[in-house]
Amino acid sequence: MNSFFALFPLLIIVFAALLVLILEVFLKKENKNYLAYISLAFLITCFVVCIKFWNRGYSYFNGNLILDNLSLFLISILILATGFVFLLSMKYISLQNTNYGEFYALLLLALSGVIIMVSSKDLLVIFLGLEVLSISSYALAGLRRDDQKSSEAAIKYFLLGSFATAFLVFGLALLYGSSHSTDISTIIQYFQSEQSLTLMALFGLGMVIIAFGFKIAFVPFHMWTPDVYQGAPTPITAFFSVVPKAAGFTILLRIFLFYWDIALDSQAIFWLLWVISALTMVVGNLLALRQTNLKRILAYSSIAHAGYLLVAILARDNSSLVFYLTVYLFMNMGAFAAVIALSKKDKEYLELEDYAGIGFRYPWIGVTFSIFLLSLAGFPPTGGFLAKFFVFSAAVRQGLVPLVIIAVLASLISVFYYMRIIVYMYMKEPSYNIEITVDNPALFLVLFLCLYGVLQLGLYPGNILLLIKQAVSSIPLL
Amino acid sequence: MNFPILTFITFIPLVGAVLLIFIHRDKEDLLRYISLGIVLVAFVFSLFLYFSFNAETPEPQFVEKKPWLAYGIEYHLGIDGISLFLVLLTTFLMPIILLSSWRYIRKRVKEYLILMLILETGIIGVFVSLNLFLFYVFWEAMLIPMYFLIGVWGGKRRIYATLKYVLFTMLGSLLMLVAIFFLHSMYYKAMGVYSLNLFDYYNLILNPGIQIWLFLAFALAFAIKVPLFPFHTWLPDAHVEAPTAGSVILAAVLLKMGVYGFLRFALPLFPDAVMTFLPFLSILCLIGIIYGGLMALVQKDIKSLVAYSSVSHMGLIMLAIFALNVEGVEGAIYQMLNHGLSTGALFLIVGILYERAHTRMIKDFGGVSKQMPVFAAFFLICMLSSVGLPGLNGFIGEILCLFGIFQANKIYAILGVTTVILAAWYLLWMYQRVMQGPITNEKILSFKDMNKREIGYILPIVIMMFWMGIYPNTFLRKMDSSVTHLLNKIKERGIIFTKAQKDKDVVLKIEHKTEKKNTEKEEQFR
Repeated sequence: MNSFFALFPLLIIVFAALLVLILEVFLKKENKNYLAYISLAFLITCFVVCIKFWNRGYSYFNGNLILDNLSLFLISILILATGFVFLLSMKYISLQNTNYGEFYALLLLALSGVIIMVSSKDLLVIFLGLEVLSISSYALAGLRRDDQKSSEAAIKYFLLGSFATAFLVFGLALLYGSSHSTDISTIIQYFQSEQSLTLMALFGLGMVIIAFGFKIAFVPFHMWTPDVYQGAPTPITAFFSVVPKAAGFTILLRIFLFYWDIALDSQAIFWLLWVISALTMVVGNLLALRQTNLKRILAYSSIAHAGYLLVAILARDNSSLVFYLTVYLFMNMGAFAAVIALSKKDKEYLELEDYAGIGFRYPWIGVTFSIFLLSLAGFPPTGGFLAKFFVFSAAVRQGLVPLVIIAVLASLISVFYYMRIIVYMYMKEPSYNIEITVDNPALFLVLFLCLYGVLQLGLYPGNILLLIKQAVSSIPLL
Repeated sequence: MNFPILTFITFIPLVGAVLLIFIHRDKEDLLRYISLGIVLVAFVFSLFLYFSFNAETPEPQFVEKKPWLAYGIEYHLGIDGISLFLVLLTTFLMPIILLSSWRYIRKRVKEYLILMLILETGIIGVFVSLNLFLFYVFWEAMLIPMYFLIGVWGGKRRIYATLKYVLFTMLGSLLMLVAIFFLHSMYYKAMGVYSLNLFDYYNLILNPGIQIWLFLAFALAFAIKVPLFPFHTWLPDAHVEAPTAGSVILAAVLLKMGVYGFLRFALPLFPDAVMTFLPFLSILCLIGIIYGGLMALVQKDIKSLVAYSSVSHMGLIMLAIFALNVEGVEGAIYQMLNHGLSTGALFLIVGILYERAHTRMIKDFGGVSKQMPVFAAFFLICMLSSVGLPGLNGFIGEILCLFGIFQANKIYAILGVTTVILAAWYLLWMYQRVMQGPITNEKILSFKDMNKREIGYILPIVIMMFWMGIYPNTFLRKMDSSVTHLLNKIKERGIIFTKAQKDKDVVLKIEHKTEKKNTEKEEQFR
């Protein structure tokens, strides 16, 4: 239904971003937390709006911006993720001296970019959203301007991100050249017709995949990830590890929803993705083995998880992809929340050595962090296991047995490094004791919510599965 | 009966664990008494299972079945004559294990007890699940508390041992997971509906070529757990480094999960593949029997001696199962219980010695029996039970196993007997060096004999040893019909496929064996 309502979520977020930017000027430094409260209020409003719009199917701008159930579900997920990031940042930015007013505004702008991305099926509009997201992200990565690592992260992210954008535009041009459209469904339909199918179109599609591969961090386009994750302020890292990935996968989902069924020559792209997926899982997990910095470990782990998610794309099981993304949001946010918890004024504890013995000194942080790590490793009865179960069983149903064997062996490797963190927390005697700031209720709220999410999704996801089914089936058939 | 008794027994320890979280860590004795009370409740209720168990029918009893998630994932519990005793073994040993670590575990008592209770839930869950998803959830979830038990309360090389244990087990079970996915998808393609129900899979008849791969994946997972010969290397490490309670639980119950997996999943699901691999697996068992026994002979550490004796004994149990006859399989199940009791008791004995001497090296002991006469008597009984002395439980189990093996293959039986000879050799020799002779070490002079608590927890085991040795029918008659049914299923299905195979040479052939189809097919082949 063509209606102005389709713009509501986007407008709310953009308005909030601008409002925060203006208000920032009038607030004293110690009152900056109000900005977070205001933003959170807007996020909640937007969340409610998304729930209200469920099943309405609004669209605007000639269908270039659509709020089908899939985009609504993903927008809600992304709002949740951003909300968690806000809660994690409130104390963090004053402790780590990153208390700049742009912080919240940039986050909200990045979110608005993602909302554009997930709620469009025109690649040109998606490109606009991607640019909004990217430019805010570059600024966010370099937010700690006195820190060399942070600046390095920003530059790296910017350079490689620009390459990715260039790839996207180039691929888009090739696709437009062959199919005379930038609309995903038209492009995919083009792949159906035999006479006009050219190498150019395939090449264009490959380029688009590569461009999103940069954002999602597939191997071999992952090089920037660990450095950027390490350099960026930790809540921003949490944001990077969930939000752009989810958006990227939504685009891939929209592209490949019908591609496998109708494309005449889908083999080339299929094997391209197959190899990328296998490489991503194996390389991501292997490289994580040698890391000693928590943020780098989580960076490589997030690369590996992108590989598992790609298995879902290859398995054509969109609901398990969305379910995996949902679970991934909770477990990864939770893990980062635990990492952020271990910090004090002007000091973050990020080396494995720092974690020795904290499991018993801070039992709640230890237990919850362990559960998130076990969930990331795919142990039952957590959400991580159920997500992997759905994805891999769908893949086996599609006959991707070798890929699934690679996937489970890769997750065996991952067990080792996730367990290593637990070994440090519980089984090593500390050579020195760290002091942390425990007075951080917002952070503990995030820990609790993520714990709840991980366990609920692992034991009885019930309605969520139903919602996801509705979301995925809401996409109009070609 | 409406009361969900299996759910109750499975989850009461977990409820207890949650309860313990809210009790202050300084009230250590309160924590201990509460957890002891909870495992006793679980034990009492499992006794009820035994008494109201109907031995006539092979069908699973006390069944609970509720829809849970999509894709055929159901909450489906039930026990038959095989799992009944493994559940009983677990609930029986749990209070003993808690009592044995009553004073030994001094640091982080609260965490220790919580993990123990979670572990019990995981173990019982494995034995009562009839849905493959549920089974896998318990199978994996149970690793986590064990990982912590070895890793936090273990010896010097505990981190190495615990990571090795977890990674070995995960390797097997992840490949098994892929095999489960494969079964799942084949069932879906054949029937058009999703199911993870074990009994639905029993009715699938798979092409032998596919069975081989699936069987290998399942067998690897279970063989690592048992452990069969080349996959046993994690066991001595884990045993030596684990605290006494961990060793007891590992030897007495966790190893049985592997055997149980073979009985419940690998054998009945893939009968043709079993026939193919039977000689190969039997030889692995034989190597395990002899190798384990010889390794036990040369160990300097009492605990690793007992650990290697486990490798040898588990080899015999597996060999008896691969005999695929009633004597063999019943003997194997009986021997599983015996092994649980006697090896568990031996680890407890080693623990008692260790608490006094803070060493487990054989050379540090000598003449202990003079100082600890009561202890010496208990040690002797447990040791002889493990050796298989007539009148004690080990004898019945071993003789049944060997009867079964002898019927299947005489050479295996002759080689298999070495387990008894070797066991007598290394255990008696160890007993002689530790307990008898002159007192070599003046530290031994200060040893106190067993206290009431220690006698209290060894005594039930010893009583059970005599009971099982003198009147085995209490236990054997409850498992008859289940075992016969299981074996029939394996043999009958093997025959059906060999017939079908001659007729059709399809690459992937899945037939659903409903009553009707089955009779049709029988006629067709006649």
